[in-house]
Amino acid sequence: MDNLFPAELKARLDEIGAADLVVGIPSYNNVRTIPHVVRAVVAGLAKYFPERRAILVNSDGGSKDGTQQAVLEAQVDTEALLQVAYPVQPLQRISTPYDGLPGKGSAFRTIFAVAKRLNARACIVVDSDLRSINPDWVELLARPILDRDFDYVAPFYLRHKYDGTITNGIIYPLTRTLFGKRIRQPIGGDFGFSGRLAARYLEKDVWNSDVARFGVDIWMTVTAIAEGFRVSQAYLGAKLHDAKDPGADLTSMFCQVVGSLFSLLETYASVWQHTNGSEAVPMFGFPFEVSVEPIAVNVERMMKGFVQGVTDLRDIYQTFLSHGTLSGLADCAAPRDDFHFPDRLWVHLIYEFAAAWHARELDREHLLQSLVPLYLGRTASFVLETRESSAREVEQRMEQLCEVFEGEKPYLEELWNQLSKKEMSHAASD
Amino acid sequence: MQRLIERAFIEPFHRLAELAWQVLPAVVTVMVILVVGGFLAWLVRRGVYHLLFAAHFNRRVAETRLARAIDRTLIFRSPADCVARVVHGALWLVIVLLALAAVDTTLTQEMLTRFVNYVPDLVTAMLVLLLGSVISKFLARSTLLAAVNAQWAGARLLAGAVRFLVMTLAVVVALEQVRIGRTALLVTFAIIFAGVVIAAAIAFGLGGRDIARQWLEKRVHSTPPQDEEIFHHL
Repeated sequence: MDNLFPAELKARLDEIGAADLVVGIPSYNNVRTIPHVVRAVVAGLAKYFPERRAILVNSDGGSKDGTQQAVLEAQVDTEALLQVAYPVQPLQRISTPYDGLPGKGSAFRTIFAVAKRLNARACIVVDSDLRSINPDWVELLARPILDRDFDYVAPFYLRHKYDGTITNGIIYPLTRTLFGKRIRQPIGGDFGFSGRLAARYLEKDVWNSDVARFGVDIWMTVTAIAEGFRVSQAYLGAKLHDAKDPGADLTSMFCQVVGSLFSLLETYASVWQHTNGSEAVPMFGFPFEVSVEPIAVNVERMMKGFVQGVTDLRDIYQTFLSHGTLSGLADCAAPRDDFHFPDRLWVHLIYEFAAAWHARELDREHLLQSLVPLYLGRTASFVLETRESSAREVEQRMEQLCEVFEGEKPYLEELWNQLSKKEMSHAASD
Repeated sequence: MQRLIERAFIEPFHRLAELAWQVLPAVVTVMVILVVGGFLAWLVRRGVYHLLFAAHFNRRVAETRLARAIDRTLIFRSPADCVARVVHGALWLVIVLLALAAVDTTLTQEMLTRFVNYVPDLVTAMLVLLLGSVISKFLARSTLLAAVNAQWAGARLLAGAVRFLVMTLAVVVALEQVRIGRTALLVTFAIIFAGVVIAAAIAFGLGGRDIARQWLEKRVHSTPPQDEEIFHHL
């Protein structure tokens, strides 16, 4: 673990000794937004945890725009500070570059290591591109761990109905169906977790995989659920943020997140195969209505991508998709006015891709890349279908989709368990 | 007339029969070696596959990076299948050499010597072809997926061109290795390659001017995000 720290940081950690709470802010070229995030965190610590010893860790991925300097220079607004008590223990800040694969997961790893080294009781991480963070977030994410013995706090945001479509279309329904906990934003990016969970994360050998990149959020959530840690959610209001990573395109982001979830299906196969139904998790914070930023969606472009994918990637899909799913896709891609991608087809598609991933029917990176055009088609259909719907109606629609995912779970189990049978039949046919 | 018939037909037939009688044991030996050896090779292949399967070889390899490499060959069904087929191929090579050695004549000995000397080049050429096939398939599929996800209209054509070029290169290198038509092949490949590059450049220049302009503009100026880029997927 110590090899994650440069000598200077090691000396600094030795000097600090121990902490109650570690706040991690991973960053990469976020000079525009990170001062606000740092100020919000510092104010939150001062307001809600003045008696606790807290450490702020900025784990930076080699920013070229002066992000690290901005963190070190970020000053708490004096007026705002006057409203709250100053911390009894002075807040210390660490700004450090991280080691390993470039990506958010590697940044988190350094934060976990700092939390473990300082024997922290709780740790929270917040994205550095947030524009809507306020001091209350610190309390909402840390309090359930410090005072209520929870191990993991996932965020619950209000988002525009078209925001977070990978979450809505795949990650939330699949996580809920397989692991039985209704965590609405499993890849939200802002989490709270206990020191013992941070130590558990560090024990895992995943840092050369997609977990080291955008896959870290889903990995943290699923690991916490599957390994029996106490999980909850915190209502944080609206999530407004800059683009996740201007350099990251949809395909690589999609592959990292979905690939990490499929990989977790393998790791925790015995857990999800013995999980039935799903249940709500405790929610902290006061739910309030808030307006969200409008989002522009180019449906035509998505539909075009879908139709091209179904046409050009037919040979690839034929190697692992069932006849029913293939004909369903062909039907969807046929020219018509009322474009619609049915829920059941989408669910079967995701399950067949997950099983093909498990069976290594195709190079895994290629498999995930071939799912992208289909995801665009499903998203376009969802946008068209909910164009006139309110946020509440869209949530109801999401609930319907989740019920289909849960209802069809035996289909995934059947496909998943066919792998060993298939190997046996290969042996017999030779 | 009688003498003529004897000299024209009967004597050659007798000589042929004598020759056949001399060669027959060797032919039978070769046939036996091929049939029995082939059967044994098949049995060994099945045995190796089942042994590896029972030892959970596939699962063990699946935990390493090697599994991904085997996946990418698009040829073998599993790591156990890969090992079994390689063993099978090696056994067949030994069987063929044994069969040639069994025909103990000057011609076969000479053929055997030449073949043995030729084997390293032949094996190298086969490996080059195998590698070329694997790489061409993989690159073609990577190109196809990247082009489809970028919504390029000629995605399949582009992928096909990539596969053709890589395979052509592999064939030229393989034939060069086995010393067949060296100069002619190199010239042919150079002409094809240059032709394809020029054709692609012209096609891109004429048909993809807008794409080229947008691409260059994106690289030179940092353009503000378009409407659809405001859309957050995560």
